[in-house]
Amino acid sequence: MPTTSYLTIAGKKTQLTVGGEGPPLLYLHSASGETDWMPFHEKLARHFTVFLPAHPGFADSQGLEQVRDIADYAWHYVDLLAELKLSRVSVVGFSLGAWTAVELAILRPALIEKLVLVDAAGLRLPDAPVAELFIDDLAKLRRLLFKDPNDPSIPLALPKGLDDSRILQWLKAREATARVGWNPYLHNPRLPQHLRRVECPTLVLWGQHDRLIPLAHGRYYAEHIPQARLEVLDCGHMLPFEKTEEFAERTVAFLLSGGRSSC
Amino acid sequence: MRIFAFHLMPWDRLPADFDTKYESAWTWLPNSLYDPPHGHTLYNRYLDELCLADELGFDGVCINEHHQNAYGTMPSPNLMGAILARQTKRVKIAVIGNALPLYNPPTRVAEEFAMIDVISGGRLIAGLVVGGGPEYYSFTINPTHARAMFAEAMDLVLRAWTEPGPFEHYGEYWKLKYVNPWPRPIQQPHPTVWIPGAGSKETIELVAARRFGYMGIPYFHIDFFQRNFDLFRECAAKCGYEASPYQLGWLCPIYVAESDEQAWTEYEPHLMHFAKQLLKGLVVLPPGYTSARSIVGIHSALSKFLSTVETRKQIEDGAYAIVGSPATVKQKLLEYGKRLGVGNLLGLFQLGTLPGDLTRKNMQLFAREVMPALQAVKHVPLPQLVS
Repeated sequence: MPTTSYLTIAGKKTQLTVGGEGPPLLYLHSASGETDWMPFHEKLARHFTVFLPAHPGFADSQGLEQVRDIADYAWHYVDLLAELKLSRVSVVGFSLGAWTAVELAILRPALIEKLVLVDAAGLRLPDAPVAELFIDDLAKLRRLLFKDPNDPSIPLALPKGLDDSRILQWLKAREATARVGWNPYLHNPRLPQHLRRVECPTLVLWGQHDRLIPLAHGRYYAEHIPQARLEVLDCGHMLPFEKTEEFAERTVAFLLSGGRSSC
Repeated sequence: MRIFAFHLMPWDRLPADFDTKYESAWTWLPNSLYDPPHGHTLYNRYLDELCLADELGFDGVCINEHHQNAYGTMPSPNLMGAILARQTKRVKIAVIGNALPLYNPPTRVAEEFAMIDVISGGRLIAGLVVGGGPEYYSFTINPTHARAMFAEAMDLVLRAWTEPGPFEHYGEYWKLKYVNPWPRPIQQPHPTVWIPGAGSKETIELVAARRFGYMGIPYFHIDFFQRNFDLFRECAAKCGYEASPYQLGWLCPIYVAESDEQAWTEYEPHLMHFAKQLLKGLVVLPPGYTSARSIVGIHSALSKFLSTVETRKQIEDGAYAIVGSPATVKQKLLEYGKRLGVGNLLGLFQLGTLPGDLTRKNMQLFAREVMPALQAVKHVPLPQLVS
């Protein structure tokens, strides 16, 4: 069973859930704030010790007032890995978390063994704009985020409405996402020029029907990160929820294959 | 009680398929729907209506700031304030207000408000506001910084008015080496400050502590105003003074005609158009604009909001608008004014599609047959400002 504890990382109270056995894997969650133990975390935990922190401002993690942009999130994970005395860890990031992971890999390449980027935010491509995430209509959000607006995993991923007990946590997740992603909108204009600095083998996983961050972004990442390859699944943006089995299989296969230099 | 005529300067022509085709009258409503020649007519008509308020003996006029919408086409209330400073002779000019985080640097607000104050001979009421939720989309300003930006900007504006320049401002959001605005305002130590609020406790506490004026944001049920004004008085008492009713303002749509029946017949289609179309998209709470808890609270208060009403009885019960013969309107406004303990009534005499002839008739009847009795009600004066 995973256990949740609270660390103080550079003065910020940080919620950290840890589960599983094996080499360390840092999972950086998305804007929807999947900080509770999810079925896909459980699948990764069969092969890895999964570290699942909540970003500042999400769940019971604090310190959002010290955060101004995505670089502050990346530095937070430099500090968190130092606190956990971890280096050469595998990092799996989803959406907002994948963007954070890329920024971390640029700042401190030596910390990361391998990288999995799932439907990553972080780029602006004029011909493939990121859709508006900051809308209040949950029905519209479901259509935006999932290939099938009746996907069975939706109740796990999103609150049902204002009377859902998870609504405060959801609103905090929105606030924290806006903090780093309102303007520039869910991207760092200087990110493309730094992608060449990502040293580790990288798997880019993308939903063919991602209506929030179109597949073109996955292609861009795969083309501009030196040791990257793209795999596309038949789903929307919420890939770990929509394709839990395939997400875990492909991630585990990639992370366990060969050494860091062989890709 | 002091009586103000509030104008939103709305767009009065929406397409017949607006209801089904557009989700909001705000932010994303295509500006191809704006017709500049018609805008020319409207702006000049609306300014005439505010000049009429000056002639009719109103105590003041109110204008405000909104962007990219059909509800109120006044992105720069300071331009309107400047015109009114010249074209009116005696009314207070309440600009409520300037959305401080939208001005970069916010010393522009200190400058422009001082200009209006000086030109008008000290008739400005300076409204300082956070800005509405939609504005954070329209300007792509990060809403998670809204409150902190507002706090820093408000302090800076007040300091610019009261502290001899030049001085340095070194804040989180603005770093200014030489703050030294010319002109300085006529009113000393600074123009009267009003801050509108939708009922958040933090805003009420701040306004009460600074001894400024608190204006209740409209279209909520009367009980919601009552709760907020009671809270204001409690906060003032905790700060060691008795709140004056002149610190409180109640903003409300008002329509007077020859009889109750005639008033409703003339007004109801315009009020319902306003409620169902122009309010659509007004209340948007972008992430972090206020705390997660307040967002849930405001959403629950919205179950009693003008946009949700269907019947005349609901409008009357909630006092969402005061409509009727001069006798009816006078009796209701006296009663609610007393109950709420407000010293400023901000009447919205025009809204949405209400045409010029009915607007003028409304204002004239109100001024002649309702206003004198309201203005005769006197209250304890304003407290001294804290330095």
